[in-house]
Amino acid sequence: MFTFIEMEFLKLKRSKIFLLSLLGAVLPPLLMFIAVTSFDEGQTFEALFTNVNMYMSAMFAVLIFAIIISYLFGREYNEHTLKTMLTIPVSREKFLASKYIMFLVWIVILTVVTSISTLAFGFAAGLDGFSLKIFADGFAQLLYANVLLFLSFSPFVFVSLFITNMVPAMIGGAGLALVNLMVYGQNWAPFVPWVCPYLIASGEIAEYSTSITVSYGVILTTFVIGLVISYIYFTKTDVSI
Amino acid sequence: MSDYVIETNNLSKKYSKNLVVNSVNMHVEKGKIYGLLGKNGAGKTTTMCMLLNLTYPSSGDIFLFGKNARRYSNVYSNIGSIIETPGFYENLTAYENLKVIAKIRGDYDPFRINSVLKMVNLDTEKSKEFRDFSLGMKQRLGIAAAIMHSPELLILDEPINGLDPFGIKEIRQLLKRLSHEFGITILISSHILSEIENIADVIGFMDGGVLIEEITREELSERLDKHVEFEVSDAAMAVKIFKALELKENEDFTVSENTICLYTHLNLRDKFNELFVKAGIDVRKVNLCEENLEEFFTRFVSNN
Repeated sequence: MFTFIEMEFLKLKRSKIFLLSLLGAVLPPLLMFIAVTSFDEGQTFEALFTNVNMYMSAMFAVLIFAIIISYLFGREYNEHTLKTMLTIPVSREKFLASKYIMFLVWIVILTVVTSISTLAFGFAAGLDGFSLKIFADGFAQLLYANVLLFLSFSPFVFVSLFITNMVPAMIGGAGLALVNLMVYGQNWAPFVPWVCPYLIASGEIAEYSTSITVSYGVILTTFVIGLVISYIYFTKTDVSI
Repeated sequence: MSDYVIETNNLSKKYSKNLVVNSVNMHVEKGKIYGLLGKNGAGKTTTMCMLLNLTYPSSGDIFLFGKNARRYSNVYSNIGSIIETPGFYENLTAYENLKVIAKIRGDYDPFRINSVLKMVNLDTEKSKEFRDFSLGMKQRLGIAAAIMHSPELLILDEPINGLDPFGIKEIRQLLKRLSHEFGITILISSHILSEIENIADVIGFMDGGVLIEEITREELSERLDKHVEFEVSDAAMAVKIFKALELKENEDFTVSENTICLYTHLNLRDKFNELFVKAGIDVRKVNLCEENLEEFFTRFVSNN
């Protein structure tokens, strides 16, 4: 499996999508930096991390993850490489698993980039109250939210196997990000699998009357459903040439 | 144990109500080049996809190297393939693309990759990304990927698509070499019939999803229509000579102006020529005409 992941990284060489995703990960810290320096919003490191994590995991990450999934899976169809890979031969189960793992690794990289750039922008803005604990807590919170989001994104894997074009993923991701904004703060937000990762990770879930177990259940159910339908579809369907 | 590297047993593929491959019984012998011929939509690519486990058969069995492919999936590691346009990562170079394949297969060897790239004349394009390759270069990289791990069987669907005449010649020679020197079995399809005619030991004719017949090169040669054309100064006199020899017009020969086409007794053409000359007929041309594979294929498919 290590070789598969190593080769997934090689496949990303000179890839514009990888660079774009890194830019996407830097965007929330940059926007908050602008907000801090221009509108005096959140003058401490703690506030900066809180705001960045919220915008990243509840909005930007949804869009970026949708694009990443579509690229990771869809490119194998669009560049006709799936037939090349499967005739090596590679088992379809292993191939699918390697893609899921690569998606998770990519998410971790983006999380690191977001957290480090938040730190850098915080220093650039001359914010007060820096401590390693704040940084570590902010990173851990974002990582936890993004990993939960990774689980709730498995239905998108099926969608990207079914519709290999990236345009629907971009539209879907943008639409879902908007839905997240609308849902955030509503009573039923803990039931929405793409909103509750942030609510759980930030601890905001405590402000809702719904139990945290229900939100975990929603995320896990979404993950299992997405995994099962993507597995069945990928292993039982002919490869289109 | 079967002597066939590929053997299919009533292999069929149905898409909803459309039967695209219908009970195909294919037999590809070890070390031979098997050419699969058929019109577009005849079912060649679908058959090859089923052989490579890219498409699941609706019914029937596939035996590769004598083993049921459904039960022994390890047989696929001994196969190299190209199905239609070769698929590679567009942002990677030829070397990097082959590296991905070799690493995943578990036999990465930089020397071997460089050697196959040289074999298909892509060793000079080291920094060029796949997206900038011409169709011919893409096809050659596909061939490099297919032979990189020294497989015992090559399944090649239209491998010379997009190649220029020099490229076609190179690949033809390479395939012949792989088959004759290294004993690699090759299943190849092409819509360029002359190519199949040039390299195949056995030809399978497909039409409408059915494998109509498998013919060896020798059998094909015997079944190709042949005739001798005599261009003479006095056709009427030549006809008289033929009739005197009990040859029947429109059966053994036909006449058109000063040309007589002889369809039987072709081995006696030198004797007939002698008789014409003795009778004072000027023989301007004697041509032995043989039907080519394209003509045979058209006639064969129409008849079936």
